[in-house]
Amino acid sequence: MFAHRARALALTAAAAVAALSLSACGASSTGSTTSAVIPELSADQKVDITFESYNLAQAGVWSDTINGLVADFEKAHPNITVHAQPPQGGGAVGANTISSVQTQLLAGHAPDVAQLTFDGFDFAATQLGAQPISDLVGQKAIDDALGGAHPFNPNAKHLADWNGKTYGIPYVFSTPVLFYNATALQKAGLPADVDLSTWDKVEAAAKAVSAKTGKPSVDVACTSIGGNWCMQGIFKSNGASVLSADRKTIQFGSDAAIDTVTKMAQLTKDGVLRNADSNSQLEGLAKGDTAFLLQSSAVQGMLMQAAAKGGWQLKASGMPGFGSKPAVPTNSGSALFILSNDPAKQRAGWEFIKFMTSDHAYEQISTKIGYLPLRTSLTQPGGSLYDWAQKNPLIAPNLAQLDRLQPWVSYPGNSYVQVDDILGKAIEGVVYYGKDPKSTMQDAQQRAQDLIK
Amino acid sequence: MAFVLATSPAQAFPPAAPTTDDGAASAQRGLASRARSKAIASLPAHALLAVLALVSIYPVYWMFVTAFRPNSDALSTNPLPGPVSLENFVTVWQQIPIGSMLASTFGMALALAAAQLLVAILASYGFARWSFRGKKVLYLLFVGSWLVPFQVTMIPNYLLVSQMGLLNTVAGVVLPQLCSAFAVMMLRQHLESFPKELLDAAQMDGRSSWQALWQVVVPNLRPALAALAIMLFISAWNEYLWPSLIMQKSTALIQVGIRAFLGAEGNNWGAIMAASTIACLPIFLIYIFLQRYVVDAFVRSGLK
Repeated sequence: MFAHRARALALTAAAAVAALSLSACGASSTGSTTSAVIPELSADQKVDITFESYNLAQAGVWSDTINGLVADFEKAHPNITVHAQPPQGGGAVGANTISSVQTQLLAGHAPDVAQLTFDGFDFAATQLGAQPISDLVGQKAIDDALGGAHPFNPNAKHLADWNGKTYGIPYVFSTPVLFYNATALQKAGLPADVDLSTWDKVEAAAKAVSAKTGKPSVDVACTSIGGNWCMQGIFKSNGASVLSADRKTIQFGSDAAIDTVTKMAQLTKDGVLRNADSNSQLEGLAKGDTAFLLQSSAVQGMLMQAAAKGGWQLKASGMPGFGSKPAVPTNSGSALFILSNDPAKQRAGWEFIKFMTSDHAYEQISTKIGYLPLRTSLTQPGGSLYDWAQKNPLIAPNLAQLDRLQPWVSYPGNSYVQVDDILGKAIEGVVYYGKDPKSTMQDAQQRAQDLIK
Repeated sequence: MAFVLATSPAQAFPPAAPTTDDGAASAQRGLASRARSKAIASLPAHALLAVLALVSIYPVYWMFVTAFRPNSDALSTNPLPGPVSLENFVTVWQQIPIGSMLASTFGMALALAAAQLLVAILASYGFARWSFRGKKVLYLLFVGSWLVPFQVTMIPNYLLVSQMGLLNTVAGVVLPQLCSAFAVMMLRQHLESFPKELLDAAQMDGRSSWQALWQVVVPNLRPALAALAIMLFISAWNEYLWPSLIMQKSTALIQVGIRAFLGAEGNNWGAIMAASTIACLPIFLIYIFLQRYVVDAFVRSGLK
């Protein structure tokens, strides 16, 4: 409730500032693209930059780790001072990154570097004023930075590329993972390592658990409001898509999309899928109310603590697919963008981004926060995260899914958030409340299409 | 006043004098029976109120129970308290600067309440004391500003605060809210019923309008002002959205700081409840020590 209200207010703020801020910043965002590479900082040149990160909005390991990395960076670059700040406004963590930048842009002091979620990538690249980093520093510099002994995973490397240019450097993200309570499965007469690679197999296992407990045993974050990032993966796994390749046509009213939500609704009709919001889903598995949860791999740490406390075994499997079709996972998370128009701040921002996506940064971020290291070879023998990966076998499905990763598609236009909400409500209506799949999804498609024209 | 009964109906229309002891006993039995019937008739209403009171107080009870549980038991649905642990309070103390947050929030709420009270006294005095051209329109504008949703003024106010260089300051939170239309409306009602004779007498004593305000009006309105001040303080203390917009550092004010335990990867409910418990303490203290004024404030404002 708290998060919904805060999100609604943040969206109201975003809508209010959009028209004003975009007209104000439009010139700078489209006209400031530089063709020449920005100069290096001179030896005695001091630069202050502001870094906005939603990880700083959360107390504990999140803000401690990022603040620690900022301190490490300042030590390595004594002439660059980084003012790290969380997004403004009362939204849930990660829910208001774009609206926060918009509001500050309107006031004339947008952050120089910002961690923005991928759902607003189109908006960030085309209207928010994100600078094309490949123009600022050259493509070779980017390739060098993302290469090295432990290069970026190829599927992660280009997630923030737009029309042949790199606007952002992917930073932290996760993929959808099916966590399950192996102890509950064993009590229902199933093996702990039961095959859960398809939705049919998940349903069969869930029916066994539900028969034992007498209540629905599956939660799927993707089919709830806020879970569209991974619902896109479920759609793709069934041959559907939310947006056409030319980014002009909304497609979640297609036959394949309707078939997808119909299949998910069948899980509810069969009594295995529970109707709960995202937080309740997380707490449901933690408390033992449910046995399966398809969620972001980032919740793994919280579930591990709950399993240890509850005395049950937590296991993980990749996102299920449909029949013989391979599952197509999508990513959640964010990339780092440069928003400053000042060449010195842009250069300092680039140095900072390189540092925050370095081996050292992922060593800190992965071991302390638990996010996926995008330099995946760090987890292989000889890599600095090899021991950590061995101690945390639950990350294996997450790492494996990177090889089949498809990007979280952002919608075009100013109303990308509303399009996402329309889709989320339509999916909930069909999956949990028995609405007619065809008419609901096609109506949602039409309304969304009207918003992106 | 002259038409108000000075005595109870029973006193105004006394029963006929009993002629015997049996008659007196019978009358007493009748009264007792009526009292019993009345008590029985009111039982459902009291039961309903008791249920509503329990429903209202249960979330607060749950906050305390969860705050004082070990963090690993935060999701426990056991309604009984225990085992008692201070682990969540230690977490809060270690992970956010709760002391400075409380101090900043107290300063902000105090400054805001004081400023709003001062503006309300001056504005309502002006409205109640003098007749001037455009008075009704001006008052309607005050009322109208109260009806404008906060979201409408939020962005212009933000820009103004930004241009004044007050972002990330308590002053930036306080400044756009210096005038509370609600407080002006409430005080104006009180001042409208203030005896004009007292003001005339003060004028005859040679007091200026300014002196009459502070030496005659304000001392006589002390209970109402105290009640209003408490209400404004509580309202300011509970502010969330505006401070979260202005105070970008999540460690600035307590209501914003609580958010630091909410996250996409799960909420730390134990710490949230502990921080909320601490955030509630000043309001609880106000209620304990100034209960009469707090109730009075809500009664006067029509919010029971």
